[in-house]
Amino acid sequence: AMAGAVRAARPLLLLLLRRGLRGTAGPPSARQLREAEEAAPVFQYAGKAARRKDRVFVWGFSYSGALGVPSFVKPDVGWKKPRRIQPTPYRLETEEKISSAACGYGFTLLASNTTDITKVWGMGLNKDSQLGFQRSRRDQTKGYEYVLEPSPIPLPLEKPQQTRVLQVSCGRAHSLVLTDSEGVFTMGNNSYGQCGRKVVEDEIYSESHLIHQLNEFDSRVVQVVCGQDHSLFRTKKGAVYACGWGADGQTGLGHHNITSVPTKLHGDIAGVNIIQVSSYGDCCLAVSDEGEVFGWGNSEYLQLASITETTQVNVPRHLPFKIGKIKEAACGGTGNAVLTEEGNIFVWGYGILGKGPNLIETAVPEMIPPSLFGWSDFNSDIRVAHVRCGLSQFAALTNRGELFVWGKNLRGCLGTGRMEDQYFPWRVTVPGEVVDVACGVDHMVSIVKSF
Amino acid sequence: LNAAPRRPPRQQVRFLPTPAPDGGGAVELVPTRVPVLADHPLVRGPQYRRLKIGAGHRLDVKSSGVFVLGIGHGNKLLTDLYNCHLTKVYTVSGLFGKATDDFSDTGKLIEKTTFDHITREKLERIVAVIQGTNHKALLMYSNIDMKTQEAYELAVKGLIRPMEKSPPIITAIRCVHFALPEFQLEIQCLHETQQYLRKMVHEMGLELKSSAVCTQVRRTRDGVFTLDDALPRTQWDLRSIQDAIRNCRLKVKTELEKTL
Repeated sequence: AMAGAVRAARPLLLLLLRRGLRGTAGPPSARQLREAEEAAPVFQYAGKAARRKDRVFVWGFSYSGALGVPSFVKPDVGWKKPRRIQPTPYRLETEEKISSAACGYGFTLLASNTTDITKVWGMGLNKDSQLGFQRSRRDQTKGYEYVLEPSPIPLPLEKPQQTRVLQVSCGRAHSLVLTDSEGVFTMGNNSYGQCGRKVVEDEIYSESHLIHQLNEFDSRVVQVVCGQDHSLFRTKKGAVYACGWGADGQTGLGHHNITSVPTKLHGDIAGVNIIQVSSYGDCCLAVSDEGEVFGWGNSEYLQLASITETTQVNVPRHLPFKIGKIKEAACGGTGNAVLTEEGNIFVWGYGILGKGPNLIETAVPEMIPPSLFGWSDFNSDIRVAHVRCGLSQFAALTNRGELFVWGKNLRGCLGTGRMEDQYFPWRVTVPGEVVDVACGVDHMVSIVKSF
Repeated sequence: LNAAPRRPPRQQVRFLPTPAPDGGGAVELVPTRVPVLADHPLVRGPQYRRLKIGAGHRLDVKSSGVFVLGIGHGNKLLTDLYNCHLTKVYTVSGLFGKATDDFSDTGKLIEKTTFDHITREKLERIVAVIQGTNHKALLMYSNIDMKTQEAYELAVKGLIRPMEKSPPIITAIRCVHFALPEFQLEIQCLHETQQYLRKMVHEMGLELKSSAVCTQVRRTRDGVFTLDDALPRTQWDLRSIQDAIRNCRLKVKTELEKTL
């Protein structure tokens, strides 16, 4: 049997030798190329369960520290110059997944809905303790006035490992943190009662450890909004509470005085189920579940001129716009924008509204043509999903995850890469799908999912 | 072409001596129309000895599709059409899992990767991003001042386009077919080359954390000329060419008048 096997093996060996000799001469034939291809190793870069990562991008004016990148203000290498403005989105490394962000006037708050002990990080101006007390490492008794890096804000929670932070909001010099079971925490400047506590004469706000907790509302608070020097709280039952400065009627309580305790608003929104409130300057808008919009506050820039000639409205009034069911509203410093159910944006007010340099002010909402957001016959299912306002900028998010900005380009806050004002919606190139954006006075923060 | 009936010869009026109608030796000069001898076919020879044919936008060896040619006077229209900067539409087919050096499937293999994690949704997301950045490039290279009202109005209508030389810009792109490992895209672009489209397919593969090669590039529209106007190989004869030229003449004229 062994002899038979050897005899059979020999012709095979000869064949192999012959094939090998022929292969080395001349260019490789198509069959050999194909075989070489099939024998090549296969690399795997991403498995089936590869998940998309969450990222935070910042851009705008950086000297206040609001961007959270210390090397922009104090470069770590001697020959590098400090970067005053970051004109395009820059990735910010964060320890946790950020679920909510808010930009104030020179400072930023980032919040994550984890159950870890640190849930909120702040960076930027801290002259009024709007970021809480940040103990200075050089001198343990003093605090930082400018925070250049996202630093954790210690909240006086009763159950720090169970409570989750739902949302943050920032005003001119104060900030609000909304939790799911322990109410609202406020910190910062309280000279107009915007933190919801009694105004103390000659109180020094810098390096203050005081964080006030607000719990007395008719039901759980689901949204907090900061105006310039006032605060708005929306509860689950659809009621709106306000406190803070009222000289422009932005508290909506029927008077022009300061309110230091959150008080319920009446007027046209009494009994109406409000699903969203918005404010950034001195004008406020509220959207009801039926798609109606109500406004109060400053009207010097024709924001409420459709119903009244006065420049201040101190009671919420219904704005009778016939533009369809309204889903979301956003208030800027001088201009307002609303988003309808069909995905169209309507703007009114004063300033660069987004319809070219000729439209400077209007009291009646004007629609921005959807073709500016990428709508065309080729892709006809592009809709705007969210609209946000900064002090003199607007930002719109489409359902494809693209971010469009327009308005005054103050210190590069639009993120387009240019320093000029943008008179119609312009795409911001962000390497990822934008989930949320927060606009401030001179900087913006966006929460992005990678591809 | 030379067998077609020629232009009738030019006529001229000459005074020819003809004998007087009433006989006799007197000769009268009578004007008659007489063909010019210089136009006689035997003197002139064949009417067409050479034809000037010019090519429109380039199409390289590995691609197929609509290829515009201009004959004779049409060459002058070709330059005008080029200055119109109209878009071209391509159908590009690709294959996931391979990467080659010249981005097509006949090149030298560089790398093989897995591709089962790719879904149509991920591809559409990348496609949307490409469209977004190219739309921005479109507005930037058109060299219009963004602060003017006319820029805004043109942007609303979608008519902003670079009117001079610019890098390749894709105006619209969408996925028409997706069956792993192959996929097909319809790309509408300006100022591009086919190799750029192949490179785009390769880069899309990289973005999806895999690799891709381009198997086919086919131009389905070049400005005003679509697949219906194009003549396939079986119809490359005089009659069909003449009919095709006649059919397209009106379209080309309206397009040129609209743009210039």
